[in-house]
Amino acid sequence: MKIEVIVYIYLAVCLAMIGFNIVCIFLFKRNDRAAEKSRLYYIDLIKEQFGKEVLDDRHRLMLLKKLTNVRELMAFDKALETLYEQYPDQVKAYLHKLEYVFVTLANRYSRKDELQMTYFPYIIARYQLFYGEDLPQINRILVDLLEKPSIYCRENALGAFYSMGNAENVADALKIIDNTGYYHNKKLLTDGLLTFTGDKKELNELLWERLFGYSLNTQLAILDSIRFSSGDFQERMLGLLRQDLDCEIHYCAIRYLGRYPYEPAYEQLMKYAEHEDETHWEYTSITCFALASYPSDRTIEVLKKNLSSRNWYVRLNASQALENLKLEYADFIDIFEGDDRYAGEMMRYRFDRKKLRERKAAAT
Amino acid sequence: MRYALFNDTAFEFIKGFLLAVEIFFALYLIGYSTFLFIAVVTGSSSLFKKRQQDRLKNTILKDHYVPISIIVPAFNEDVTIVENVRSLLALDYPLYEIVVVDDGSSDRTSAKLIEAFDMLPIRRPIQRKIDCQPMEFVYEAATHKVPLTLIRKKNGGKADSLNMGINACKYPYFICIDADSVLQYDSLSKIVKPVLENENVVAVGGAVRPSNSVEIENGRVINYRLPRNLLACMQVLEYDRSFLASRILFDKFNGSLIISGAFGLFKKDTVVAAGGYDATTMGEDMELVVKLHDYCVTNDIPYLIRYATDAICWSQVPEKLKDLSKQRRRWHIGLFQSMWKHRVMLANPKFGLTSFISYFYFLIYELLSPFIEVFGIATMVLAFFVDLINVPFMLIFFGIYALFGSVMSMTAFFARTQTIDLKVTFRDVLKALMLCTVEICVLRFIMAWVRATAFIGYKKKKLQWGRIERQKINLK
Repeated sequence: MKIEVIVYIYLAVCLAMIGFNIVCIFLFKRNDRAAEKSRLYYIDLIKEQFGKEVLDDRHRLMLLKKLTNVRELMAFDKALETLYEQYPDQVKAYLHKLEYVFVTLANRYSRKDELQMTYFPYIIARYQLFYGEDLPQINRILVDLLEKPSIYCRENALGAFYSMGNAENVADALKIIDNTGYYHNKKLLTDGLLTFTGDKKELNELLWERLFGYSLNTQLAILDSIRFSSGDFQERMLGLLRQDLDCEIHYCAIRYLGRYPYEPAYEQLMKYAEHEDETHWEYTSITCFALASYPSDRTIEVLKKNLSSRNWYVRLNASQALENLKLEYADFIDIFEGDDRYAGEMMRYRFDRKKLRERKAAAT
Repeated sequence: MRYALFNDTAFEFIKGFLLAVEIFFALYLIGYSTFLFIAVVTGSSSLFKKRQQDRLKNTILKDHYVPISIIVPAFNEDVTIVENVRSLLALDYPLYEIVVVDDGSSDRTSAKLIEAFDMLPIRRPIQRKIDCQPMEFVYEAATHKVPLTLIRKKNGGKADSLNMGINACKYPYFICIDADSVLQYDSLSKIVKPVLENENVVAVGGAVRPSNSVEIENGRVINYRLPRNLLACMQVLEYDRSFLASRILFDKFNGSLIISGAFGLFKKDTVVAAGGYDATTMGEDMELVVKLHDYCVTNDIPYLIRYATDAICWSQVPEKLKDLSKQRRRWHIGLFQSMWKHRVMLANPKFGLTSFISYFYFLIYELLSPFIEVFGIATMVLAFFVDLINVPFMLIFFGIYALFGSVMSMTAFFARTQTIDLKVTFRDVLKALMLCTVEICVLRFIMAWVRATAFIGYKKKKLQWGRIERQKINLK
């Protein structure tokens, strides 16, 4: 085959792509105009239904028919978004009356392609469509999405579960994700759990109860979310420290006990802080930071000792903890005049930062 | 007859030689055209899919904030540095810090920053995880939205400054950006998405777009048009081709060998373990990415190097041929140094497609291409001299080549319709249409010559900052 023929074929495909993109320019413009028109249309329709005890059947049927088209659903979403800013209570009441419509739509969207399928749980989460309810049909559809390889499917489905406020379903959803074996970022799980709209205490208790049934990644996400949402787990976190578990779980427990000081945990924490073994520097470093919540002469002494650690991070966290203990310059004369230049530098830096913060406070 | 000058043996030899050259160039062009074609088609369709995904909320929706350190290496940047830092402070992201590293500037780079941001000297110990030139002083400011640090160090080059920045920064991911660049308001949330999607991501490249003639307000583009300057305009077409096409293709098989120094995100631990930036090369940005491939494969570490098409950085491109030549010379030498240093990747099955597609592409169509192109022109002259060239065919062939290149450029140019933030105006289309052929037929050959001669005298300048004439950034 002559080289020109290949080039001509390539040219033809590229020209087709240019044509496609040019058509897209016009289509996008037309679609944007149409979407705006639909948005305004839905705003009027929805407003008409405000205050009605029961929604018109015609309205429901029309929504069922139209919202099956994803473009219409997007316009409906935009209309709700606009109305929600002005009339949040009416919009909530209106959506509550549309439950049947959304259950039917959920079924229809579950049979569409993955892109559109993923959009529906976003709508569920955004408007908390099934808040406080446990609908097996919806749960089944969301569980299907949790098992998809696409992280967006899983995230949107999880978002829907968080918004529905059923702790049991959320705990099950995490297990389903674990079982798929797909990686799901710990941070996404932690942040997601914090958006749970139901009884957070119930969720935390349930997750704790099932903690060791999850993968390590999920366990860490759960422990982090507990740390950011409840101070009721001090004793149990101490219990984790006393068990032979993965060090990452211990780090989570130490961080928790730093955030919510618990006197009975002090000895355990001191054991880590006084560790001489360099290979355990991560325990020492994290514990140093946590000790800022346990002010005492013994704490100060061990932190000062750790200022001379051979490990940079231990020194850094010890100095940070000492700074957080709000001691005065005079309390560190022994460090500044001592033989360890690195310890002195670390603390001088902390006092310089203190000055900066004072300046910021004065400026604000 | 010209060939009467040669005896039969010599003539037969030249004829054989030219036939070999012809076959070589036919294969070379088939390879290049095929690559460009696949890249442009893949890039264009990927952008279309991405747009659909965004519209249907197939994305990480909530704001999950991975802490990021932004490192800004600066050398004699007193014209742009204050505006640059101001634009960084306006980013729509809550959890980041800015570390400016002044590489011993002889102008008022540090002084301007200290004045503008009310910075105070601080005695900050910095752990030297990666070797770099000693620091002279550190200033910090706490009166802004996020921590701002200025480190002034002894001159050692851009890579050395980046290494200092890595040593000083406190977050697990860092971004390096050029001091003449501006990040779009949402660029940080976009560039961290691949990190949230996959735990093995060690680096993410952002999309760099020429900022000449672009008006930016609070990190948002409020007025976009192609630059008035024709050279800058042709570079827009070139960047479109490169960023909207080939980088997307390489991303499909984890084969990116370049993350632009103007905007890239890296996992700090992995970069430190790999030894940081190499201060002895000119193309430290490419060298680091190639090194990460080498390091991770050699140590059996699962890794991904991704490209975020929607994480945008606006950067100035040279408006003078002299500056452009200087820049391209540096890039070419950097390319050579990176490829030579990591030649273990050449035809090595351990590196998979990165070796057999990316490395080969960069070797043949980037590193050797200027020599091949100059050689091609020389053989044409020889063929013409011995009357063994079919001039009309040659012209037609050139015409097809130019048309093909232009169509590729225009396909990449129109692919921007699939990005949310860039619009195409009729005037810009006309301008692009006129300039794409000039870029293929004129600029490309000038640059081929510049790159082919890049190695002349490079040793003298190898650790100097590649500077182009700076202009004030058009920020509001």
